[in-house]
Amino acid sequence: MNPSVDEAVRDAPQLVGLFVATMPDCLLYHSWSRSATEWAADEVAGYFGDLIRANREGLRALSAWSADMQVTIESRDALVVLKELTPSFAMGCVFDRNAPLGLVRLHMKRLVDRVTAALPDVAPAERSRGEKIVEFLERYAPDPHAVLLRVSLRTGLALDRLRDASSLSAPEVESVERVACQLLGLAKLAV
Amino acid sequence: MSVESLRTFDKAQSLTFLAGIPYVYHCHHYNLFHDQTVDDALGDEAGLEVRTRSARNAFRSVLEAASKELHATTPVEKVQLARELFPWMGLGNLDISTSAFGGEARGATLHYGFSWREKYGAQVKRTLPADAVASGFAAAVTEVAYGLPSGSAWTVEEECVAAKAAQCRFRIERRPLGGWEEPLPTVIDTAAAIAAAGPPERGVDEDRIAKIGSGLTDFMKGVRGDERGLVQAFSVFVAAQLSSYYNESIFEMITRLEKRSPELAPVAEDLAREAGRVCVFNTFGNVLLSPEWEALVGPLGNDPADIVSFCLAIARGLGFGHWYLHEYEPRKRFVMRASSSYEVPFYVSRYGKADRPRGYFLGGSAHAIAALAEGVRWGERPKLDGELYMKLLGGRNRAHVEQTKCQMRGDEISELVVTLP
Repeated sequence: MNPSVDEAVRDAPQLVGLFVATMPDCLLYHSWSRSATEWAADEVAGYFGDLIRANREGLRALSAWSADMQVTIESRDALVVLKELTPSFAMGCVFDRNAPLGLVRLHMKRLVDRVTAALPDVAPAERSRGEKIVEFLERYAPDPHAVLLRVSLRTGLALDRLRDASSLSAPEVESVERVACQLLGLAKLAV
Repeated sequence: MSVESLRTFDKAQSLTFLAGIPYVYHCHHYNLFHDQTVDDALGDEAGLEVRTRSARNAFRSVLEAASKELHATTPVEKVQLARELFPWMGLGNLDISTSAFGGEARGATLHYGFSWREKYGAQVKRTLPADAVASGFAAAVTEVAYGLPSGSAWTVEEECVAAKAAQCRFRIERRPLGGWEEPLPTVIDTAAAIAAAGPPERGVDEDRIAKIGSGLTDFMKGVRGDERGLVQAFSVFVAAQLSSYYNESIFEMITRLEKRSPELAPVAEDLAREAGRVCVFNTFGNVLLSPEWEALVGPLGNDPADIVSFCLAIARGLGFGHWYLHEYEPRKRFVMRASSSYEVPFYVSRYGKADRPRGYFLGGSAHAIAALAEGVRWGERPKLDGELYMKLLGGRNRAHVEQTKCQMRGDEISELVVTLP
């Protein structure tokens, strides 16, 4: 780990684990845990990344979004704080449930500063809308094992075209998006 | 005489009949996937129409036969019989009020809408109704009770539990006959089903498979709808469903697609096989893990050969037909044969001899049986979830499945060869 982040982690004994995920993909970028844990960091990163994104969209819908918002979850065994660091990265910190909230906020501030400074200056590779929609479907549609076959039938597009979603034409992307809305029961897709 | 007395069983071919009309047991995972596939291929409107008509035709035949067998002659007797039959099959309580001019029906716990909400309701929203089977049934009841011509009643589901309504609500209406556009219903009875079957040969491990299959058949005799009209068993919702419903809707879908967009037909066929995989994974898998199975057969071990035999016994117990093991070489090859299978009689009777193998359900099932046997350590009581499904059947390293013989194509038996990856 970066020495500066390492120091911030060492100074927060109530910190149980930390993970950094890329956004908007919610893929694990880095994780750390104080001791051996049963959770799979990549799964945790995926779920909490989704939560951060949903939170952002919800707050935007309420016209209440601000870049410095963070999500705090108090469960029986843990206190979880989620924070968007940059447009490309989000961080989740898992604290011991007994850690005082004020202290947790203090540690979070330090961790956010240190981790943000340690992150590479990257912009996510821009993927096509077609790819994003297909990925979204594979993650959220019922029966993900069959979703491409279903989209193929409903759009009339061959499976090979859908597997190479980056090459879909604009009308094809529109058609896939319409079907994605049908399968997901959504009025529009926020991808 | 009661609805119970309508049930008969052909032991040699492992086929089940209700008032002489073939039926099988399927779980809600299969049923929902089947319906979804028809809609995906034809579009929501045409899919709903095909499914509703298939249900109406299937139930018309069973209601006519049951009324005759149970001496129900007046409209009120026939409606009464229908209200008893539907929940007995595990399809839910349906409160039908109908006349020769139309009517209405309501139900809060119908198999399709209710189980859709249970399975997918927390995941996605649905606006379209899910109960084409109940719609078709209500139309069939109206036709049979009042002696109306086939195709003269129709039902529209106006509200559905799957779309978050408190109960499903149906409007039954009269409508003009479909004329040349409406295909004549294909009625399969016991004689037609047996005539389409081949010689019920003995396969590998036959004695054990036959004994367990027979035990499961006896167990299924006690299965009927609960106070909701649903059968909740083996961790799934099970329904006794008429084979003709599945067959008419799936084959009508495929043949329409072959005419309209032949390039998409293989995709629809793959989804039809996928429905078989979904069935075996969920229904067979949950049967194997159930306390009822342990009481019937004993605790599960990890021997793949046992699981293959058990799955073939389950298929027979559910009325799918005389499926038997021809050859099994663990980690290499699995060859399953069937002298009877519920898809065959309908196809042959409606469309004649097929030009190529068309055992979609059989093919998907054979694949999934091999996957369950080879890829799961049953002794450790695995959780049958989406993750395991993807691991066994959703990956790129799928087994190669080939239907080498097909009764629909004129072969004496059907044969599936599964080559393991």
